[in-house]
Amino acid sequence: MLTPFLTIATFGLLVTPAGLIRRGKNPIGIAPYAGLTGLVIALGSTIWLGFYGGPSQIFGGFQIDLFTYFFTGVLLLVSLFVAISSLDFMKGDTNTAPYFGLLLLSTLGMIVLAASMDLILLYVGWELMSIPTYALTAIKKKDPNSNEAAVKFFVLSALSSALLVYAISLTFGITGSTNLPTIASSLGTLTGDTRSFALIAIVMFVAGFGVKMAVVPFHMWIPDAFEGAPTTVAALLAAGAKMAAFAAAFRVFIVAMSTVNIDWYSTFAIVAVATMTLGNLAALMQKSFTRLLAYSSIAQAGYVMIALSVPITAGGVPLGLAGGLFHVLNYSIVKTAAFVAAAAVATRLPLNTLDSFNGLARRMPQTAFNITVFFLALAGVPPLNGFFSKVMLFTGAVYSPYAWGGYLAIAALLNSGFSMSYYGWLIKRMYFDDPMDSSKIPEPRAYTSVMWAATILVFIIGLYPDPWIRLVQSAACSLRSPVPC
Amino acid sequence: MAIPTFLLGKRRAGLAKILGIGTTAAVFGVSLVIVGLFQYGNPNFQLTDTANWASTFGLNYIVGVDGISLPLLILAALLCLLAAAGSRDMISIKQPEYYALFLVFETGIIGVFTSLNLILFYVFWEIVLIPMFFFIGIWGGPRRKYASLKFLIFTYAGSAIMLFGFIALYAWTGSQGAPSFDYSTLLTRAANLTMPLQVAASLATFVGFAVKLPIFPLHTWLPDAHVEAPAPVSVLLAGLLLKMGGYGLIRYNLLLFPAADKLLWPVFTAIGLITMVYGASVAFVAQDMKRMIALTSVNHMGYVLLGTFTLGSIGVSAAVFQMFAHGLAVGMLFLMSGYIHEHTGTRNINELHGLRGKMPRTTLLLILASMAAMAVPGFANFISEYQVIQGALSANYLFGFAILAPALTVGYFFWMLRRVVMTPAEGPKNEIHLHSQLILTAFLVPLLVFGIYPAPLLGSAIKPTVDHLLGVLFPGGK
Repeated sequence: MLTPFLTIATFGLLVTPAGLIRRGKNPIGIAPYAGLTGLVIALGSTIWLGFYGGPSQIFGGFQIDLFTYFFTGVLLLVSLFVAISSLDFMKGDTNTAPYFGLLLLSTLGMIVLAASMDLILLYVGWELMSIPTYALTAIKKKDPNSNEAAVKFFVLSALSSALLVYAISLTFGITGSTNLPTIASSLGTLTGDTRSFALIAIVMFVAGFGVKMAVVPFHMWIPDAFEGAPTTVAALLAAGAKMAAFAAAFRVFIVAMSTVNIDWYSTFAIVAVATMTLGNLAALMQKSFTRLLAYSSIAQAGYVMIALSVPITAGGVPLGLAGGLFHVLNYSIVKTAAFVAAAAVATRLPLNTLDSFNGLARRMPQTAFNITVFFLALAGVPPLNGFFSKVMLFTGAVYSPYAWGGYLAIAALLNSGFSMSYYGWLIKRMYFDDPMDSSKIPEPRAYTSVMWAATILVFIIGLYPDPWIRLVQSAACSLRSPVPC
Repeated sequence: MAIPTFLLGKRRAGLAKILGIGTTAAVFGVSLVIVGLFQYGNPNFQLTDTANWASTFGLNYIVGVDGISLPLLILAALLCLLAAAGSRDMISIKQPEYYALFLVFETGIIGVFTSLNLILFYVFWEIVLIPMFFFIGIWGGPRRKYASLKFLIFTYAGSAIMLFGFIALYAWTGSQGAPSFDYSTLLTRAANLTMPLQVAASLATFVGFAVKLPIFPLHTWLPDAHVEAPAPVSVLLAGLLLKMGGYGLIRYNLLLFPAADKLLWPVFTAIGLITMVYGASVAFVAQDMKRMIALTSVNHMGYVLLGTFTLGSIGVSAAVFQMFAHGLAVGMLFLMSGYIHEHTGTRNINELHGLRGKMPRTTLLLILASMAAMAVPGFANFISEYQVIQGALSANYLFGFAILAPALTVGYFFWMLRRVVMTPAEGPKNEIHLHSQLILTAFLVPLLVFGIYPAPLLGSAIKPTVDHLLGVLFPGGK
């Protein structure tokens, strides 16, 4: 049951010392490969357990169910993509071994977060995920941008942790428990004053998670941090840390807070619309590729937020929730790979401006093609994977018990339509514009293998989404258990 | 029925010229087989093919044809073949990519006209969009970048709103049994929705189709896209892409929401009328021959909107027939403008002097194509336009204004011909190739055949289906 967790923990601790072992002239050493091995074993065992391992609970707080397996699989895949591309990105860097060690430890934090059914464990996972990412963001010691990004990220992230602790202590004060199902049952009987405390706790949870989920108005650090951080680390933050925060938010809000008699659903809907609108509008104005990706990732967080606003549908099927999980999967694959593509371009071209993408199709044909696929998937063009998760999310919104569901879907669809303007703009730059310099640029296999793997997944999921839809529906049901669905 | 779709789906890999044209020819062959297998007079969906695709979420693979989709299916297969053949001379760079995208496009367009599941329809609808974006952007004219992006954003935003209509239908009809995206299920359920919901869904889908059709004032992407696209792609754009909008209007807007139709038809027909007259008036001032032809499409697609929302059997059947006839006529004109541009180096109507002396056979074909577009009796266009106006008049006498549109159309076409043909020739004779002439003639054959004897298509395929569906929708008449 715990194989993925134990594997990552073991390898995470071993990778850094393994960096001390150097064989001959090989500058990379065995550390990165040890890290990769750990991730592959963990991912393999997660998939195996997802098929054959039943649900179970360890120490009351460690919840192993399909939801956990689902998120563990997604997060490990993100981490694996990041690790493979880092083989080239960190080449020649003296900190390669600690980089991979921190990567694995942060991943461990993320998957613990996905598995936690107890607020204390959740906080442990949260910090285990966050602390290594501060160091990772600053791993290019000599680069002032990297350091600046790390400081910004650290301050806001520490704030979010503080808010989270506050929320946890408030919740414990009201309910006397840190176990989510127990909290749920005691929150259901709240009256009078304690209800307002519950409201404060919810607000603190939203703010705490919101910083990592990058929802408006807690999104400000994202573009700066993603731009300054090493691009592969930005991939980990954008897809890994963010989706792990969503996993925690799903657990807390759907399992524990659903019984509170407070309408936080419509608030989430407003946050969702604000997030996607701001992300899309701001993305259109960006001049740098990583900032564009950062704002587009904010917009995508807005779509996933729909799942939190409409966890149940009128028919009782958790369509919105399942759509949200599906979008988590699709977004993680595509966004990680898009950042990897950005890393491939950034390491070979001097500038990070959008102008350096002009005519990229002629200079780096594989990268340009893959970025096109990722962008179309992010925009939600069928038959790519992003389309189906969006349709599920938006249908879930209309098909919800709330009267505002239709407006939420219209807002989301308009956003989705609007987002094509900047995605299309970049595709236009890559394919239709002339490059400043038409020399071919080598495309290292570390990047292209990740990009092609992601593109293949995009098409597999997009062309035959049925098994994936069933997977996310079961995962959504396991999150809502024991409520039948 | 799945055959053309599947055939193409499997063959979209990089293909050279011959394989590209060969595949379109094979698809045309298959479509002729479908024409043979089709039971005329039977109003229901035929040759249906069903498969589970993502049934967990109501997405089924269901395709089939009825009297409304049959003409468009033949049109799609024929125009793709002719446009691919026409590309031989006009596309010289990046041929494998071009023909691969061409087949992706054909997959999409045939899927649009045959799919009977709303999400499947949407998937094919968008599959059409992406190749078109690249066609215009890579192989287009001087302002291709602007035109391609404008096209992409306009149509993508339009389809996003249309998708809202689809998912709203799924959700709102969910109380009448298991929610579904299947067309036949929704056909019985959507009519039971309350008026505000019907109107909302109808308007949402209308926006999506209206951008494609296009109607005034959502048409501004069209002249840019058509002018900048290479000539064979303009054929596809005007001949097929616009028909997607018209088909959608009839299949979804008209047939799914009878109550909303009764409320909104004056608005929609008025927009159709404005579009007709507007397109024709603007075409007068166009200097570029291609731009003029593009605006002809705006003009002629107004008929489709008008005919559809007369809510009468004559008008709706004529709208379908108009799409068929216009697709051929405008396709021929666009391809011709491409050939003329290649041989004379200009498309400016004022600079094209004395075409009669330089390219006598092409001139003859140009006159014939213009006659078709002007709806001269004997061409299929006459029958469709005449019937649209007849249908409109029987709905309300105010639609007598519609007669302005064909009058204007004749006006700008004659003026164009006067400037291009009836001016003294300069320079030597410079005729287009024989095979190009043959391709152009191939457009004329169905136009003349169905213009003289429309019964096989209009009477035995389109009309029974339309009569049947309208009978179900409006049991007591309109």
